Amino acid sequence: MSDAVIIPAKTGLPLNAIASALVPLVLALVVAAVVLALAGYNPFEVYRLLAVESFGSSRRIAATLSSTTPLILTGLATAIAFRAGAFNVGVEGCIFVGGLAAAYVGFTYAGLPGIVLIVMGLAASVIVGALWMLVPGLLKARLDVDEVVTTLMLNFIAISLTAYLVNGPLLAPGSANSATPMVATAARLPRLMPPSTLNIGFIIAVLLLALYWLWGNRTALGFETRLAGLNARFATAQGIDVPMLIIKMMLLSGAIGGLAGGIHALGTVGRFVSGFSPGYGFTGIAVALLGRGTAPGMFLAALLFGALATSGATIQLFSDVPIEIVDILQGMIMIFAVARFGWIFARRRRVA
Amino acid sequence: MTEPTTGMDPNIRLGASNVTRRFGSVVANDGVDFKAERGTVHAIVGGNGAGKSTLMRILQGMDRPDEGFVLVDGVPTVFLGPADAFDRGIGMVHQEFMLVPGLTLLENLVLAKEPTDKLGRIDHKAALEAAHHLEKLAGVTLDWHVLEQDAPVHVRQIVEILRLLYRGADVLILDEPTAVLAPAQVNEVIALLGKLRSEGRTIIFISHKLDEVLAVADRITVMRNGRAIGSLERQQASKARLAEMMIGEVVARLELREQKAGAEVLSIEHLDVAGRRQVKLKDFSLAIRSGEIVGIAGVAGNGQDEITGAVTGLIEAESGRIRIGGVDITDASLSVRRAAGLSYLSPDRAAEGLCLQASITDNAIAGHHRASRFCAAGVTRLGAINRHIENLLDRFAVKRGSSALPASSLSGGNQQKVAVARELDGDPKALIACQPTRGVDIRGIAFIHQCLLDYRDRGGAVLLISEELDELLELADRIVVIYGGEVTGEVGRGASDVAEIGRMMLGGKVAA
Repeated sequence: MSDAVIIPAKTGLPLNAIASALVPLVLALVVAAVVLALAGYNPFEVYRLLAVESFGSSRRIAATLSSTTPLILTGLATAIAFRAGAFNVGVEGCIFVGGLAAAYVGFTYAGLPGIVLIVMGLAASVIVGALWMLVPGLLKARLDVDEVVTTLMLNFIAISLTAYLVNGPLLAPGSANSATPMVATAARLPRLMPPSTLNIGFIIAVLLLALYWLWGNRTALGFETRLAGLNARFATAQGIDVPMLIIKMMLLSGAIGGLAGGIHALGTVGRFVSGFSPGYGFTGIAVALLGRGTAPGMFLAALLFGALATSGATIQLFSDVPIEIVDILQGMIMIFAVARFGWIFARRRRVA
Repeated sequence: MTEPTTGMDPNIRLGASNVTRRFGSVVANDGVDFKAERGTVHAIVGGNGAGKSTLMRILQGMDRPDEGFVLVDGVPTVFLGPADAFDRGIGMVHQEFMLVPGLTLLENLVLAKEPTDKLGRIDHKAALEAAHHLEKLAGVTLDWHVLEQDAPVHVRQIVEILRLLYRGADVLILDEPTAVLAPAQVNEVIALLGKLRSEGRTIIFISHKLDEVLAVADRITVMRNGRAIGSLERQQASKARLAEMMIGEVVARLELREQKAGAEVLSIEHLDVAGRRQVKLKDFSLAIRSGEIVGIAGVAGNGQDEITGAVTGLIEAESGRIRIGGVDITDASLSVRRAAGLSYLSPDRAAEGLCLQASITDNAIAGHHRASRFCAAGVTRLGAINRHIENLLDRFAVKRGSSALPASSLSGGNQQKVAVARELDGDPKALIACQPTRGVDIRGIAFIHQCLLDYRDRGGAVLLISEELDELLELADRIVVIYGGEVTGEVGRGASDVAEIGRMMLGGKVAA
């Protein structure tokens, strides 16, 4: 690496940007193809199956979009904090606390009308998610405590705390599982294509993605956040209150992470169970990196990981390909996405 | 155009033969021939964007020519990378320092080639010995146990040079080694270069400053528009001849109009600031009126950062009051200060003055972006911003491709013009201008100086902090000299006794 000839970056043609965003995907497909071939499978056949299982019919597409929904939100939550220069890896924890908050509202106030219940439940998930990020935000902004460490640690607390609550005070009566009671039917998010679990949460996620685009490109706050994330000293010298921005963006990031949990609880699961999220928060980091923090990029990245999750679940039924192969493929994409990020980061440090 | 290299001359320690390097449609180096003889100091001069840095990157293995090749000991060579070049004894000190904060100067010196004891631990004693040996060689004395971030800029610069020697380089490529140094330290570095030459080292250095070049170089190569215009022996060279070769045309003279100072704009009373280093600003008072440029002269690190910091609010003042247009801003946030009419041109263009990754437009609008004509209810008005910025950048003659490109695509001089344009946009009440022309070429300097004078004539108040005495003498209506955090004297415009100012800069108080 140290011997590499450093060629100055060409300035961003959109075509170039798209091509370089595809590189991790292509590399991952190639490496996974080698793994598949070595394991005795025909990679093209496997890839064809994956494509069919994720986009082959309207039902499969609905399933894919349903898996995409939480990933759009967690990617968005990561990207918002990252814009301000904070690497929030605590979105996973926000899903847990936000999901439990929404489920609690959903089964406690079961008598209320549906619309009220849904709004209250999602609002609760947003508020709890935001509060969950308050302390790391304050620590980062005021005392320069590394947010990667604090938010990562908070994940463990969130997962264990919610696990305790659903094993004790909030355990469904008569249930042996670590789960809350089911939420009221009225609290369930309306489904878009029954019997698929695809629900209006997907529409909320896409709307938020559009708002994110507007915020990043058309608002003064989005502008200030971008400058603060790129060069905090510059932003400060221009009169921007960078610590305050970091706190705001960490809260917003937590709010969206909490909402991801709320939508997952009211839309897909119908309650809160221990082991509620299969790592949506962490996949969200990969979504944000692969999508380069742009709204269209993150939509496509979330769709990709959503498709892998859906097809991975069913591919075992139609072939002898083990689900682990899909996990390997997903892991490869993440590694290449993060490696590219590391390269950008190293370049940035060299420039600064 | 250029004669091809014939034969191999081992006396040529490092050179370039017909080197061409293109970046897209831009030809950064166009058939450059260049030869640095063993044991000499070879200077490369030229304006911003002349292709000096590209040539240096090629000579140091960071970049490869599209055509032509590098000569090492007269032999055509292709470097695999900077490490390969270093193995052949060629090292470079970049404009941006490459030292590691959090380590001491000693640790930085030996980094990546630490002397170790039998157990593999760093042998500090051996390291210190090596450091003292280098000190003797270079004729300097340093406190090696200071952390990198606490050391003054010129000390870091010296450590960068010693670091190359420590690791065994005998060819030193220096990219504007004196750009950030005060006159006193410039002489030290110049002496250091002379000393190293007498030790048989080969030195190639880039500079904008012709005085230094003439003081130390044996041979001078002038670059312009990516070409080596010519090489002169020291005896053939003069400041006028070099300037003519560099610019190719005459620089407009500054237009200085009669001063019409008005009401007091910026007033600093009995300011005490605890510095980040040993220096503490003590009981500093200064009043600047509308239509006046007041310069602060002093060797770097004698309280300039503390004055700037307290006025801008980046450093907290211990006591004293600062007012702008009668409004007390001593404890206000920077955004409140800016709203009160304060503007601040940072001395550190790359890290604070600009956001290099953001677009030129973003850089030019930052700080003004919440003004009502650019922003309604939190939503930016892109059309109004683009129109305004295009107009602004044209007025400040910023040479650019598209304003949507990142600021890093501009040459250093044009980057600085963007920063100056932004800070003067909307005619603030007062401007704190720190090192306004650092790393800018002659033409750019003249332009920026004229901008500052025009602003003064429009009624602006300027606090000018510069390490270029020439700049202060040219622009300032008054010069206040500081040393060790205290004022040691003041001179008016037209004071030509530079030696006297120099004496005050080193602490000698003027007799009353």
